[in-house]
Amino acid sequence: MPEPVIASVGASPLGRTDLPGRDLFSVALAEAFDGLPDPADIVEAVYVGNQSESYEHQIMHGTLLAEWAGLRHVPAERVEGCAAAGALALRHAVKDVRNGDHEAVLACGVEKMSSAGTSGATDALSAAFDRAIEQRSGVTAPSQYALLARRYLHETDATEADLAEIAVKNHANAARNPRAQFPKEIDVTTVLESDPVASPLKLYDCAPVGDGAAAVLVTTPELAADLDRPQVRIAGSGASANNIAVAERDMTTIAGARIAAETAYEEAGIGAEDVDIAEVHDAFTVCEALLAEAAGFAPAGTGYQSYRAPAERADGWTNVQLSPSGGLKARGHPIGATGLLQALEAYEQLTGAAGDRAVEGAETALLLNEGGVADAVTVGHVVTTAEAP
Amino acid sequence: MTDGGLDATDPRTLPGFFDALADGDLLGGVCADCGQVLLPPRPACYACGSHDVDVEPQSREGRVFSYTEIHAAPPAFAADAPYTVAVVELADGGRLLGRVTADAADVAIGDPVELTVREPTAAEREVALEYETGWPVHVFEPR
Repeated sequence: MPEPVIASVGASPLGRTDLPGRDLFSVALAEAFDGLPDPADIVEAVYVGNQSESYEHQIMHGTLLAEWAGLRHVPAERVEGCAAAGALALRHAVKDVRNGDHEAVLACGVEKMSSAGTSGATDALSAAFDRAIEQRSGVTAPSQYALLARRYLHETDATEADLAEIAVKNHANAARNPRAQFPKEIDVTTVLESDPVASPLKLYDCAPVGDGAAAVLVTTPELAADLDRPQVRIAGSGASANNIAVAERDMTTIAGARIAAETAYEEAGIGAEDVDIAEVHDAFTVCEALLAEAAGFAPAGTGYQSYRAPAERADGWTNVQLSPSGGLKARGHPIGATGLLQALEAYEQLTGAAGDRAVEGAETALLLNEGGVADAVTVGHVVTTAEAP
Repeated sequence: MTDGGLDATDPRTLPGFFDALADGDLLGGVCADCGQVLLPPRPACYACGSHDVDVEPQSREGRVFSYTEIHAAPPAFAADAPYTVAVVELADGGRLLGRVTADAADVAIGDPVELTVREPTAAEREVALEYETGWPVHVFEPR
């Protein structure tokens, strides 16, 4: 069974851009294929992570982006799982290469969220929640996560200031990331005094609305070597769905994320303690706390300490560094592209291309990408440059 | 599987559930194999996978499990903001999300509430799908 590797990555600018989705993709693709043959000479299939047709009144993103890449007559499809769409696209590419179906698959993602303003994005994202009960009660993405946050603050020692510190840490990381939507440092007061969105979450607890595209070329190790590209093994891939309604789930133990992470660890033959860096789905500050616990990095109730240096965290924490890119919070969260931006960050970190934000000695990364609220669907990948155990 | 012949009068479908709710009856699915309560009722139990799901009346009383005050609302509900939404743990064990008819400042985890049912407002009907227009809206009132 061939082990898939990431052979190249690319991304568009992130944030409020003047480019439509397909053009953002073209920018991302151009970076990924800089110095490589044309996609038509390599790529055998395309998967596109994309959240919603609300933004551009466009579906058929598989067909569209394959064509824009010069890839007529390959299998191509859009993958939907709200904000997990990007990692689901990556997972399909991983499976195709593992199965021997293809030697090179393009996993990409795109979202043009700014096309209808913040209210348009709020409306488009609310479609991720149960229509019959939740949508008709007026929920939003922030309010769904606010329900988790309120419960987490109730059950643990965490405070709103701790959640604010997670945003501060991720902004500090983003300040060293030239790709980031918000490459600037902020302080705790700024977070705590920002406008209420859905209590206890405030504006600076929330990832921004923004545009973006990302492209990840997944190949066999042999092809990556032929292309003379640095390669990072995709050693594990896991995924799990959970209930659509947040009310019916355990709201502080994110079971689906635990399954996705543990499946990926098992396939990779590693444990949580072997992970050096993790790009987790910090769409809202509380997510980083919850996912640190689900991924096995932190004992229950202590995930909120992710912003602290390893020596200052509770006993039982691993030494993992979370969201070195700045995370969804500050790097940016163009929904369908996010899972691939996580893979891009891991590729750059593990191949010495992360510049000022490089985490020294990092060899193994966990990627956790969620769709819907929390673990409505979660996808986990382990990517590594370490020797296979 | 035992759910052949489901139609819109069956409370394991949304029309059946909301028809009963309009009459004031909150129906839940109760898994005959593991006891899990399913709100609204559905053909399969998420906890154990069984399709042996009974439909039983549920208590409308419960306690706030978590809550939030929504300031940035979807466009359809912008005129209502800010409003309070909670996850409520009902006395018979199921959990249901809904609006709370109280300011969030007056709500706390553990507070007792009761589910009530009202007709949809004109604004709610306007954004309803064609098949939803007759469905009632449930809200939780402090008790």
